[in-house]
Amino acid sequence: MTASMRIASVRLLSKTRHYFSSEVAVQPGARTVHHQPASTRFVFTSVRCNVCLIPVAFLHKGRAYGTQSSSVTVTEEPDLLFQKLSVLVKSHDKAVLDSYEFFATLAAKELGLTLAKVFEPPKNIERLTLLKSVHIFKKHRVQYEMRTHYRCIEISRITGSTSRVYLEYIQRNLPEGVAMEVTKTAIEKVPDHIQMPLWSVQSQEKQGSQ
Amino acid sequence: MAASTFCPALLPLLRINCKFNGVYTRISLNRRAAYSLGLTASNGVERQGLPERGNQGQRRQRRAVEPRTERMTVDQDWTAVYPTAASFKPNSVPLPVRMGYPVKRGVPPAKKGNLELIKIPNFLHLTPEAIKKHCEALKPFCTEWPAALDSDAKCEEHFPIQVESKAYVSAGPSLRNPNARIITLTVKLSSLNLDEHARKKLIRLSGERYNKDTDTLTITTDSCPMKQQNYDYAMYLLTVLYHESWKTEAWEKEKTRADMEEYVWEDSPSQKNILETLLRMRPLGEKEEEGEVREELLGRVEVQEYKDSVTKLKNEGETETNMQQYKEAVKKLLNI
Repeated sequence: MTASMRIASVRLLSKTRHYFSSEVAVQPGARTVHHQPASTRFVFTSVRCNVCLIPVAFLHKGRAYGTQSSSVTVTEEPDLLFQKLSVLVKSHDKAVLDSYEFFATLAAKELGLTLAKVFEPPKNIERLTLLKSVHIFKKHRVQYEMRTHYRCIEISRITGSTSRVYLEYIQRNLPEGVAMEVTKTAIEKVPDHIQMPLWSVQSQEKQGSQ
Repeated sequence: MAASTFCPALLPLLRINCKFNGVYTRISLNRRAAYSLGLTASNGVERQGLPERGNQGQRRQRRAVEPRTERMTVDQDWTAVYPTAASFKPNSVPLPVRMGYPVKRGVPPAKKGNLELIKIPNFLHLTPEAIKKHCEALKPFCTEWPAALDSDAKCEEHFPIQVESKAYVSAGPSLRNPNARIITLTVKLSSLNLDEHARKKLIRLSGERYNKDTDTLTITTDSCPMKQQNYDYAMYLLTVLYHESWKTEAWEKEKTRADMEEYVWEDSPSQKNILETLLRMRPLGEKEEEGEVREELLGRVEVQEYKDSVTKLKNEGETETNMQQYKEAVKKLLNI
């Protein structure tokens, strides 16, 4: 992978590092989901992952030389909910995208995610015609084209923690020459300050009389 | 001999090259020179002398070791051979892969020393077994989707606001993509606490951002440089729209019939006309107060039906059913 891709992995890692604490690993089953039947409010806790702190230079070699324990901490901060997660990958090579699609779909199935759609948007060919010679010879040209192939994997109904895990896994294993665009559609409740109007009818009447 | 004549001339060159490059270069120089002059006899003589010189010389040749593939069993752990992304190593991959354009009446070149196989990205580190192992290790960090929200309708009901954002991953001079800051907030007005006046005012305030067919308000923000800032700005805009729409300004009383969004039958020319017509239809001689007569007339069922049919025609347009309804209402009213 190029240097900038490695930096990308550092950037992703730093997000999880921020939540690193020296606490002992909490049991994974200790996630609390409060369901209040009266008002049916959903509060979901998020799971932060604390990946072991391997120096960046060795990241691409993986953990073959030794493993450290990674602790799972469960925070009370409510988890994000994504109605749709759309991953669009672009490349000049269709075979690479085929293999990547197999990898991404298998990973999604293993993690228990629902694959709404896996399809191939039509390819985009950009052509340009240039003069073949440095000087004169206008009638003799050369044509180049750049083909961009696409693959789209749509996952429906995924939580914030799971999406972070899946996306990091997918992006770390993104091959050379492949770009990715992720579209997330998060769903949220109407915030408290929009539930009731600030100005009640009484105060409006007062203002009207003034 | 021509060979003997040219050799001394080139000898200084050959000696210099020998120091830097070694045996192989010397042989090639000789061969090239011999080829250009069409001489081959001298080559045999030269070659006999050279191997002795090579053994003295600069580099010891590496002994060819047996490739790792020979010692690989069929049921080995492949994840140990290719744990992470690595280039193709022909001595580590026990597959008889061939790649490249074949020579005439030949086959694609074999894997040993094949650059084509090294150039392409390979997925040898991502076999199904490896993916399953990775996912097993990742599962503790995942959370489950709440089982109660299994359909889109339920998600819409409990979580009406949708926030769409994009993230980009690509290799290039810079990691950042300026399009990643754009946020699109979508909400259905039916899920907000609005009365009639507030709803109409909100629709007017949002302008093009409101879609009548799907009753959705879409706010797209890209004026701030960071995603979080744009999200905060979008929520701020929604809050402002909501609270402003509940306010009634003094000048809103001056709303005329032309400003109305939909047709209202009360105080319309249609109502005046029908009242006049009905008044005239009454038999002469009955002197009653006009106010009472009006209310009585308006309270009649046929008048109500007429009112409904006219409102439907004006608001929804002319359709078969609407026209039929209008016709029936008029017939009943005028006792035709």
